[in-house]
Amino acid sequence: MPQLRDSGTRALHATEPVPSAEMDGFCRIFGVETEYGVAVTGAEKPVDAGQVAMTMFQPIVSRSRSTNTYLTNGSRLYLDVGSHPEYATAEARDPREALAQDLAGEQVMRGLALKAQAKLRESYGEHATIHVFKNNVDSAGHAFGCHENYLVRRFVPLEAVEHQLLPFLITRQLYTGAGRMTPDGFQITQRADFLDEAVSSATTRSRPMVNTRDEPHADPDSFRRLHVIIGDSNRSQWSTWMKLAVTHLVLCSIEEAFRRGEPSGFEDWAFVDPAAANRAMSRFLDAPDAMLPLASGESVSALTLQRRYFRAVESFVADHRETMDSAFVAGVPVTGLSGDAVAGSPTTTILGEWDHALRALEQGDYDALADRVDWAAKRRVFEALRRRRPEVTFAQLEQLELDYHDIANGRLYGSLTARSQMRRLLTADETERAIHEAPQDTRAALRGRFVEAALASGAQFSADWTHLTVTAPERREAVLLDPFEAAPTPEFSQLMESLGR
Amino acid sequence: MPQQFEQPQSQSQETHEDDALAQAATQAADQSQDQSDVLDSILDDIESTLETNAEEYVNSFVQKGGE
Repeated sequence: MPQLRDSGTRALHATEPVPSAEMDGFCRIFGVETEYGVAVTGAEKPVDAGQVAMTMFQPIVSRSRSTNTYLTNGSRLYLDVGSHPEYATAEARDPREALAQDLAGEQVMRGLALKAQAKLRESYGEHATIHVFKNNVDSAGHAFGCHENYLVRRFVPLEAVEHQLLPFLITRQLYTGAGRMTPDGFQITQRADFLDEAVSSATTRSRPMVNTRDEPHADPDSFRRLHVIIGDSNRSQWSTWMKLAVTHLVLCSIEEAFRRGEPSGFEDWAFVDPAAANRAMSRFLDAPDAMLPLASGESVSALTLQRRYFRAVESFVADHRETMDSAFVAGVPVTGLSGDAVAGSPTTTILGEWDHALRALEQGDYDALADRVDWAAKRRVFEALRRRRPEVTFAQLEQLELDYHDIANGRLYGSLTARSQMRRLLTADETERAIHEAPQDTRAALRGRFVEAALASGAQFSADWTHLTVTAPERREAVLLDPFEAAPTPEFSQLMESLGR
Repeated sequence: MPQQFEQPQSQSQETHEDDALAQAATQAADQSQDQSDVLDSILDDIESTLETNAEEYVNSFVQKGGE
């Protein structure tokens, strides 16, 4: 076993105190950042989508004097370069909580869009319609993202992320890809053709799959923040939950291996050319058995590699089940999963869902996944449409696919869920609560209380992930470095007192 | 041990097995009928979307920047 630890590695059994109480065990902070696309149809005269995005953010600007703000649920809402509305979930300790926060983001965006649409119709006619796409590619081939954040223990070196995690991230798209209609056929991912570098420190200049800029928003001695760029925006609640949950399990295996100085078993699975493997994997339906060369000299199919990860994680979990289950503080979602599984442990449920998805793929039974995997859902509807209307055009399929992602005025996804053809993991109540309430077991709880108090008192405030600041009448600040800590610090209490709380 | 999904109950007696098979076949036929009915309803739901000018709809979505 080669020495894989980098210079930043901390010996786990060193005598100096471990900086964070959360270093042991398997707890984690999860976050999802989603960029949305904006378009307008049905307007009586030309209208600029950038202007529409600004109109959507008018209520935010008048509230916060900025297009970049935090909400009472602890999440960040802002207008990114190129007029992408963006929503970043508050820190969650659990995939279920992160899913609730992400769905809350959809609702927030939808509310802003419908308000702006009513305004737009005053000047652009009653048919003017705002579309807000939770997808990753526009009609001109501009790609944008859905990024996952995982707080990872720093003793895992970056090379391990690249060699051991990236092959998993590429092939997990078999069951988390959103699918896209392209002139060359239907692909199971949105973005494979737009990602070229495996690991990079920038996201806008090049298109890496994992971003390594080191902004942990936490104790930098203990943690790094893994910023995963290779992932589609999902409408499917199952896929959002699963991509976080399964990636977490794989990360736990890698962390434990470094903690113990033992092999993880994933060492030999790096692709020779990750971007090429990703593109081939995205064309899974054309060639399910396409062989992808590994750096070890072996070639395997995407599905075979996923099955290997599954087996390795399954045996890892068997040895650590109790500790790992206890990290799922919110438990598994109450609906949309197998009934037996929900009664069992969270890790058992995740492994069961994972195994079942792989088995359906191995058997070529893609329709079996049409109620939980976005690409499979789209594919099933497209095929039914082609049967009914053989003359259907490529543009119509493209339109329908965009409609699936339109969280403001889309019909297809709503129809699928209303007719129980798409699984829902969370109740409407759980999502509704997440619109207003931050996760109660992370730093986000404090941020949420701060934003609520600042808005109520009319104070000017600003915030980022680690700072809460009242800017006027008198400048005061609280720093919250530990994302796992939900208890007020003295500094925080003073800040709240200055707001009359 | 991963959970098994949608596994039919195993039957110990042959006659039960035959009955179960027949029943399962009927159910499967019903199910596939239901499925195609549901798909029909979904296609009806989105019919109005397809009536709009698809090219114009798709081309209206051009976004710059991001990530």
